[in-house]
Amino acid sequence: MGVVLIGPALLLLLLVFLWPMASYLWLSFHAQNLFTDLQPVPVGMLNWHRLVLDARFWQDAAQTLRFALVSVSLELGLGLAMALLLNQRWRGRGLVRSLTLLPWALPTTVMALGWRWIFNDPSGPINGVIAGLTGSTLPFLASPSLAWLAVVFADVWKTTPFVALLLLAGLQMIPADLYEALALEGGSARQALLRITLPLLRPYLLLVLLFRLAQALGVFDLIVVLTGGGPASSTESVAGYAYLNAMRFLDFGYSATVMIGMFGVLLLLGGVLLLVLRRPARA
Amino acid sequence: MPASPSAQPIASQRGQNPRRWTLVALLLFWSLAPMLWQLYTSLRTPDALLGGLAAIGRGWTLANYGQILSSDPPFWRYLLNSTLVGVGTTLLTLLLAIPCAYALQRRGGLQRQLVDGALLVAAAFPSVLLFLALLQLARQFGLANNLLALCLPYAGLSLPLAVLLLEAAFAELPRELEESALLEGFGLWQRLRWILVPLLGPAVASTAVLVFLFSWNEFPIALTWLSRSELLTLAPAMARIAGSSVFSVPYGAFAAATVLGSVPLLLLLLVFQRPIVAGLTQGAIKG
Repeated sequence: MGVVLIGPALLLLLLVFLWPMASYLWLSFHAQNLFTDLQPVPVGMLNWHRLVLDARFWQDAAQTLRFALVSVSLELGLGLAMALLLNQRWRGRGLVRSLTLLPWALPTTVMALGWRWIFNDPSGPINGVIAGLTGSTLPFLASPSLAWLAVVFADVWKTTPFVALLLLAGLQMIPADLYEALALEGGSARQALLRITLPLLRPYLLLVLLFRLAQALGVFDLIVVLTGGGPASSTESVAGYAYLNAMRFLDFGYSATVMIGMFGVLLLLGGVLLLVLRRPARA
Repeated sequence: MPASPSAQPIASQRGQNPRRWTLVALLLFWSLAPMLWQLYTSLRTPDALLGGLAAIGRGWTLANYGQILSSDPPFWRYLLNSTLVGVGTTLLTLLLAIPCAYALQRRGGLQRQLVDGALLVAAAFPSVLLFLALLQLARQFGLANNLLALCLPYAGLSLPLAVLLLEAAFAELPRELEESALLEGFGLWQRLRWILVPLLGPAVASTAVLVFLFSWNEFPIALTWLSRSELLTLAPAMARIAGSSVFSVPYGAFAAATVLGSVPLLLLLLVFQRPIVAGLTQGAIKG
């Protein structure tokens, strides 16, 4: 009976998740590109040698890592602040919570187009304010040192409500009498945060951190529409590079190698984080 | 409670309220201002947009929407395609996930813990990594440029989260209820149909909305599977519009597209706010 109930779902899961990774691994030892008439030809470690020496891959990997670390840190910080605010009791809280969730629900590509106009130089509203204050404008999307920050900004705007919602769920699991007991001992609000809230929220923070980090390292949609990976590939992500190799250069073997390389980095980072952060919360 | 944030706070004696309302106002500005700016832009003529605040009294127009809706294919076509894929994906996911979650939950033990762990990893997996292999499957089986076929990978990608959410819901059902149904001579399908699924309504609803949201927003697979412009879903259509020079700067038509692309989801979120929050929250507590 169990086979009938689980079988179809399992089959689709294997097909969608496991088969691609297995096929990439196989493909990474083959050349399949325009020179081979798009037929797979075994080439041993050639793709992997190329990956190790590919400066653009490592540049993209560093850029993707920088983007993920900065935006996920900001999302956790701002999301925690937002969750603490929404966890207090005040009138209209429910309505505000739904309104703040709106950015998360919008398709990334839709709002990415919106951000392109908001960051526009010189006609966008942000530059309108900056010009009013300083008399000059900033080329947000045309300067390599600013463009990646614009991408971070747009990602933080979209994803912080999601982080806040999950942390809010964690906050609501903390029993109120813990805070009452601390208040009786004369503890301050800061002590309550450090001694009760943060330790008990730890598993939620860890879950959100790992989940968001995995998603952020796969950033693709936002960059395609907001900057197209530019200027001068300064915002290109690893996923964008894999896409470029497959769909523009029609080099499927190398694209698969890039994907496996990225998956390896992801596993390594997730494993290290789990080891470092997953100390038992209670003695 | 539908009270506006500007309403008189009840407990103003606490003294910290001015600070709180400042923070709430900041939060609302941060969340809503970018979207409101799109709405504003979409209703302005190009001259008015470049004219700044001096031009606030004139230059209001609906022409941007007219331009977007009369392009080829018209913009509503993308919304229709996305809706079709979203509904198909949601139905297929539920059809596969409900029995699977039921069987896993009733089985229990180490086996289930392992499966749940794997599902959690799959739920967090950045799905952009999968597009190339899925595209090759699509080519092999002639599934490209077929909106209903697109539901297959989407359902596969939605399954981990859906199964986890539904498993948590099944866990909360009293097992005795099922046992008494068994004594009454109900078969498995009857138990699913008459007892389990109706009682699971809320969890099914929140799972459905989350799956629909995912499907509506998915980009890399839609981008590579669909090439005929009248079949595009919203996400790749937005990317194509962003890359085209048909609509001139400054962005009036772009903004109209972002507004039209946002409205269906904003309505969905406001109507189904409760099940969405419940679903995500339960997912977090479970995980």
